Parts: sequence; C-alpha cells; structure tokens
Amino acid sequence: MHLFIEQLINGITLGSIYSLTALGLTLIFGVLDILNMAHGAVFMFGAFTAVLIVSKLGLPLWVGFLGGCIVSGLLGYALEMFALRPLRRRKNTSPLAPLISTIGVSIILENIARALFGSDTISFRTSISDINFKLGEIDINLINLVILAVSFTITILLYFWLKNSKSGRALRAVSENPDTAAFLGVNTSKVITFTVVSASCAGGAAGVLVAMAFNSVNNEIGLAMGLKGLAIIILGGMGSVNGAVAGGILLGLAETFVVAYGDSGYKEIIGFIIIMAVLLIKPQGIFGTTQKVKV
Amino acid sequence: MLSYLNSYYIQIGSFTLINIMLALGVYVPLSTGQLSLGGAGFMGLGAYLSAIAVTRFGLPIPFAIVIAGGVSTLAGILVGVPSLRLKGVYLAIATLGFGEVIRVIFIKWETITGGATGISAIPLISAGTVRFLTEQNIIDSSNKNVASDLTVFLILFLITGFFVWFFVALKNTRIWRANSAIRLDETASESIGINIHYYKVLAFSQSAFISAIAGALYAHTVSYISPSDFTYHRAVEALIFTVLGGSGHVLGAVFGATVLTIIPEALRFLKDYRYVAFGAILVIMMAFKPEGIITDNIFRKIRKK
Amino acid sequence: MVRLKLNKIIIIAVSLLLFSCKADVPKVKGEQPNSQQSIKIGIIAALSGPAAGYGNSIVNGFTLAASEINKAGALNIELIIEDSAGKQEQALSVVKKLINSDKVTAILGPTLSTEMRLVGPEANNSGIPILATSNTASGITDIGQFVFRDSMPESIAIPFAIKKAIEKYHIKNVAMFYGDDDVFTKSAFDTMKSTAEALGLNITTIEKFQKGQTDFKAQLTKIKSTSPDALLCSALYNEGGVILDQARKIGITVPVIGGNGFNSPKIFEIAGSSSDGLIVATPWFSESVENPKVLDFISKFEKAYGSKPDQFAAQAYDGLFIMAHAIKTAGSADRNKIRDALASVRNFNGVLGKFSFDQNRDVDMEPFVLIAKDSKFQLLQ
Repeated sequence: MHLFIEQLINGITLGSIYSLTALGLTLIFGVLDILNMAHGAVFMFGAFTAVLIVSKLGLPLWVGFLGGCIVSGLLGYALEMFALRPLRRRKNTSPLAPLISTIGVSIILENIARALFGSDTISFRTSISDINFKLGEIDINLINLVILAVSFTITILLYFWLKNSKSGRALRAVSENPDTAAFLGVNTSKVITFTVVSASCAGGAAGVLVAMAFNSVNNEIGLAMGLKGLAIIILGGMGSVNGAVAGGILLGLAETFVVAYGDSGYKEIIGFIIIMAVLLIKPQGIFGTTQKVKV
Repeated sequence: MLSYLNSYYIQIGSFTLINIMLALGVYVPLSTGQLSLGGAGFMGLGAYLSAIAVTRFGLPIPFAIVIAGGVSTLAGILVGVPSLRLKGVYLAIATLGFGEVIRVIFIKWETITGGATGISAIPLISAGTVRFLTEQNIIDSSNKNVASDLTVFLILFLITGFFVWFFVALKNTRIWRANSAIRLDETASESIGINIHYYKVLAFSQSAFISAIAGALYAHTVSYISPSDFTYHRAVEALIFTVLGGSGHVLGAVFGATVLTIIPEALRFLKDYRYVAFGAILVIMMAFKPEGIITDNIFRKIRKK
Repeated sequence: MVRLKLNKIIIIAVSLLLFSCKADVPKVKGEQPNSQQSIKIGIIAALSGPAAGYGNSIVNGFTLAASEINKAGALNIELIIEDSAGKQEQALSVVKKLINSDKVTAILGPTLSTEMRLVGPEANNSGIPILATSNTASGITDIGQFVFRDSMPESIAIPFAIKKAIEKYHIKNVAMFYGDDDVFTKSAFDTMKSTAEALGLNITTIEKFQKGQTDFKAQLTKIKSTSPDALLCSALYNEGGVILDQARKIGITVPVIGGNGFNSPKIFEIAGSSSDGLIVATPWFSESVENPKVLDFISKFEKAYGSKPDQFAAQAYDGLFIMAHAIKTAGSADRNKIRDALASVRNFNGVLGKFSFDQNRDVDMEPFVLIAKDSKFQLLQ
C-alpha cells in the first residue's frame, strides 16, 4: 500500500509541474490562437539559467528561481516582438504561419542552448535536495513537497488574477474578441505582450522546478516537455485554465502509473496516445471550449 | 568534370533526391491546406516494411518497395479519414503524434524490427545491377563502388523525376484547381459542389505514398536503419524545405530541398550553428515571405518576358 | 526584375557548389610506393553534436600518437580528420570523401557503433582497412574482412563485471534498467540479460527509460519495491548519472553494475557521492601505475591537452600505433598487405596492456573491474 502512496506522490508532483507548463501554453493559445511550439525551449532555458546561477555562481535557490523566470520572460518578449508580431501585421496569413514560425524559434533556441550549455547533463544540487523523511512506511522527499507547494501557489495566483483582476479580465476580453476589446478601450498590444511574457515566465518556473525535482538539466528536456504540454492542453481543452490543471495532473498520474503497474517503456509515449485518442473522440478536450481563455 | 563522378558528390546528390521526395510529401497535403508533420512516420513505415520484406522474407527489392508504398498508402488513408474533422493546428499535432507513435512501435516490436538496434546489412537498390555488370565484365572491383553509387543515384533520379513531373503536370487539371479552392476556403468549396473529403484524403494518401517510397529507397541506399532515423526532426526538416522553397509550387519544394541539402555540406565549418540558421530561416520566411522563394508569380513574370 | 532574382539564386547555388568542390582537391595523387612518403590515414570522429565529448578525446589520442610516430621517423603519417557529428548519414558522406577524394590508405573510427553500420560496409567493399577504436556493440567486425576493432566490446566487459560483483557481493536477485530507444544501451542490455540468465540470476524486474528523460522516480520506486541485491543498468552517462543520483535518494543502496556508458568521469560530476557502489568493467585504468609506458602516455597527454586521458583517448592512441605497426610490417601502403598484417597482430605492447586481435579481428583482452568510491574509481578486489 505504501508503494501506491509513494507513486501517487510521484504522480501528483510530476502532474503539478506539467500543469504549470500547460498553463503557459493554454494562455497563449487562448489569447493568440497560436500553439507555441517554442514553449518547451523557453522552459529549458529557464531551467539552465537557474542551475547555472546556483551551481556556478553559488547564489541561493530563490535567486536561481527568479533568474530562471526572468530569462524565460525575456525570451517570451523576444518571441512576441520578433516572431509573432510581424505575423499579425500581415493581414492574410494562414493559421499555419505562426505555428511554423514558433517551430523555427524552438530550433533556434535549442541549438543556441546546445552551443552555450553543451550537450551534457548538468547536475543540480540544492540545499534541500537530500532531505527525506518517513511517514510510517512511506518515504517522502522534502523536495517533492516544496515543488507541490510552489506550483500550487503559482497556479492559484494565476487563477485568481485571471478571474478577478482588471488586467486578468482584459486578457480574457482580448481572447474572446480582440476587436471588441480594443473598441472597449483595452490596449490589446500590451495585453498580448504581457500574456506571452507571463506565460513564458510560468514555463521557466516549471523548468526550474523540474530541475529541482530531478536534480539535473540537459537540452532534451525542452522538446519532451513542449510535446507533453501539447498533450495536456489538448486533453484539457485549449484555452481552458481548468483544463491545463486537470490535464497536467492526469498526465502525471498516467505516466507514473503506467510505470508502476504496466510497462515503463510506454511512459513517454502516453502523452501522444492521449493526443491521438482525444483528437479522435472529442477534439475540444475535457473542458471543451476553444479559442477562449475560460476560468 | 570527371572529378564529379566521385562517390562523395553522388552521395550528396542521392540524399538531395530523397529530401526532395520528403519535401513533396509535405507539399502535397499543404496544397489542400493540410499541414502534415507525419512525413517521418510514413518514411519510417516505408523503410521498415521494405527492409523487413527483403532481409527477413527474401523478397526482391523492387517488389518490397512497391509493397512498402502500397501499405503506407493504406495507412495514409486510415490516418487521413479521421483527420478530416481536424483543422490546421490540430491536424498538424495529430500527424506529429502519429509519427511518434509509429516510431515507438518500431522500438517496441523488437522481434520483427530489431528494436533500437535497427536493421543492418540491407541490400542496396543497385545490388542487382552491379552484379549483372560485374558478370558481364563491364566493371571490376576498382570501380564497383562508384558504379553502385551511380546506379543508386540514377534510380533515385528517375523516381524523383517521375514524382516531380507528375505534380507539375497536375497543374492545370481539375484536381489541382479543387485543391487550391479547398486550401483557400473549405466551406465555399463545399458549397460549390467540390467533394472536399475525397480531395483531402487523396492528397494525404499521396503524401504517405511518396514519403514511404522515399523511406524504402533510403533504407536501400544507406543499408542500415533504426528508429532514431525517423524522428520529429526529420518531419520538421521536410517542412523547412517546402516552406523556404515555396509552398505554393511543386518546384518550390524541389528548390528548397536541393538548396538546403547541398549548402550544409558546403558550410560544414558552421557545425552546430547550421541548425540555428535553419530555425532563423523559418522565422524570417514566415514574417516576410510566407509563400517561400519560388512562387507562381516568378513563373508568370518569366513567361511574360 | 524577378528574372534577375531567380538568376541570382541560381548563380549563388552553383558557385557554392563549385566552392565546396574546390576544397576537396586531393593533395597527393597516386599510390605511395615507399613508406618514407606520407601515409594518409582518414579519421572519422564525432567532433560536434552529443557525442563530441567522446570524439574530441579520441582525436586527441590520435594526434598525440601521430606526432610520436612521426618523430620516431620510420613512418610519416598524415591524419585527415573529418567530423561526422555522430550522424550516420554524415559519416557515410565523410567516408566516401575520404576514400574517393582523399584516397586514404586506412581509416580509424567512426566514433559510434551506429555510424559503423554504414561506414564499415563502405570501407570493406572498397578494400580499405578500418579500425574502430570506440565501438562497443556486437557484430562490428562481422561486417567484413577489412573491419577491425581495438575497443573492448560490451560482450566481454559486462560478463566480467557481473561475475566479479557476484563473487564479492553474493548477488542472487537483480533488477534491470535500460534505455530502450538507443542502440548502445539496448545492445548492452541484451548482453546483460543473457549473462544474468546464463549465470542463473533471478531477474526481479526489467524497467525501461528513453533518451532525454530526467525523471526516473517511478521506475526506480518500482525497482526498489522488488528488493534486488544489485541493479544492472545500461545507460549513457547523461541519464546514468541522474539515475544513480535519484536511485540513492529514494533509498536504493545496493551496488549498481553499469555498462560502458558509465565509464566516464562525468558520472562523478553528475552524481557526486551517489556514485559510490557503481561497478564497471573497463579496458583502461590509469591508476595501474606499474607500467612505465602508461605513466609516460598519461603525462604526455596531460601536458598536451590539460587533462588525463580517458579510455577513448587510450584506445585511439593504441589504435593508431597498432595501425602504424601493421603498415611497417606490411612494408608498403598496399591495403591488402596492411589488412593481413593487422589480422596477425599478437601481444602488441600498448598502453591498454598486451593487445591481440582474435580470429574475428576483434579484441582479445581482459578488462579491469572497477568500483566507484569517493568520486574515484578503484579496482574491485
């Protein structure tokens, strides 16, 4: 029984990180109608930044965390300014152009990362990584709890901000209908930029948490995470915040339990199987709405 | 000129031709407005089917390649039909997912695919011809390799040339006009009586066929395949060829594939930054010239002059 | 206007093509009739991409060996080094260039077994002797009569490691964990599994992971629950280091027997003290200080490159010396004679010890079995 609980904790921790990544993706989709294929690369840069700040510069963990978020936010800003905005200026582009453009950005970032950070895995030792304790028969790592707490907090903050704050409402207005929102006095440009930047920050934060959880980073994690993020928002419904959270946890649990009770060879592919299944059965996903950021 | 008859350059030529086929595999569905990122999956399917048919069942190579193409076309239809209800981005992801699932099947189904170890010692498409030429004493061991590489290149050239001619010839037919209409506006096309389902699935299965043939030929050119040869990266590469070259015209795909296969060889010294350049190409093209380099306009202007 | 643009594009493309051709004009034409002239040896190594760590180490070994051979005077070796980036297709293009444009006498490399699958047949069919110095998969020398290897294959190393571990730790139950999507890790796993079965060990569970994963908690938790006496793990050092680290953290304290991927100082960088208890078999152990030849090599290498040589550098170094020895024995640059001379190499005195090819042109040597303690490897007694 205690094995089940240990795996459950593994699954939920993993899931909470996935949710955080998916939140960023779903926000960008909701507001811009764009699938940001570069999200994974941004996530990876955030992770590497944090690791380097802590390991090479010896600064405390929270500085690394902040550094990771800031770098990711900056990359998001660059993404919006150089890749996405020029696209919006042309009137009759096909919806595939932004997709292809973000694929281009992801390739650029992945290869710059390889040139900057090398292809090797870099280990990430933090002051809390070695603390474990036992609850009865169950082994618990302190770091799992910290991750759960941080991702939970960020998610709830985002949720309430979207629902209640003025800028949150502005964001939802733009996602519903940019022209109407502009008509009503919302500065759509600013909202869009802000969305991309905060979504990327969330991605970077998730990256740092992943580095903490697994004590290491390497440049393959971006692609894998980007594709999983895709699976989650398709499962949960593109543009739905609830969907991102639910989907993330579900994927985390699915991956963990397929290992615990099935064949671990399928762990990475579960995401894709979910994508295919959902697209076949109910393409809008669990929480059903497309093209709107719904809370 | 004789220095060009050199295995190294012939090899680059052969890879260029395979890339052209893969670029066509992206172009064809794109001409109906569907973005398929599953090219690597169909390529892998074709490669494995042909390699297995030849190495495990001893079938003759041309036979195996045809079977590979045929089965993959069926697979293309099977994927194409449910994909009809998916638009744009969703379709792209579904095809991506398909490619990855196929790749994992290659890894898992060890008994028949060899798993991650792959399949080695696949006979080359030039094997039969080389044997014949050696028996007739037209070639000997000193030029056997060049003869083999040249044969491979010529076979690839003929097949690729056929595909390109086919799609260029298609230009003023009903099919092409229907595809263009669908690409521009599906609802309008349907309302004037075009059977969009038929054309979309047709394009999809054509893409599957071409990618599979490219894969089968690849297997019989390099003689060793493994699942890691057919990843998402390869599908994206084919996309880049088409997007850069010109997504509106067949020759665009040809141009893009040729330029982007040859230039990296010439720019060896750039090493890892080569891919940064690829990514930058995508971003810049989309921002400034999403139709690509070769467009219908160019041909119109040339014809006018 | 547009016509100009199209023309411009064509001109650029053609000139690039011509430019790239110019760079490949062979320097010396014809055969080298006597060994005092330069013997051209082609080197295929992964100098960029994920395998670059191995590739650079290997090229350092070759370069050091070449300078010593040339200094000794009997032979003059010219190395033509090409980068394969660890990609098979590129390796194939490169070997064709070496054979057809540069007309090399022999080839050393490529870095990865997967590349050898394409490169080997090409070299073999062209009658060019090729010596692998870092491939460890099975079936390499089966490719053909001209294919040789001096890098110890997993099929020798792993059974040694497992047997020694059983002796020392009285192991009866083992759990297995391997990367199922990579050729090496899978091939090493196949060897581990057949060895374990042949030795009558009880396999408690077999778990898998894929390249690039950094989260192994789920699989490791499952492994821990089966209470094995040891973990047989087949991974490259990136995943391997992380696996070790996470395994120790969730409480797996038993010895971990690793394949060749673990045989790298990078493991200590990634796993730190979690690496204690890691067992690997290796052909190269630089702490075997009795041999003056080895000490000499290590100090020369360190002086030239700033770090101690690893097994890849050592195997490369010995590899070039073995090739040079074969060329001297053959007395000419005749590739068939060189091939035959290689095949008859017995008890060659190298930094790896006494080296011989077996009748399959493969390695005939015994490895050292090492265990990691305090971020260092030491002999497992």
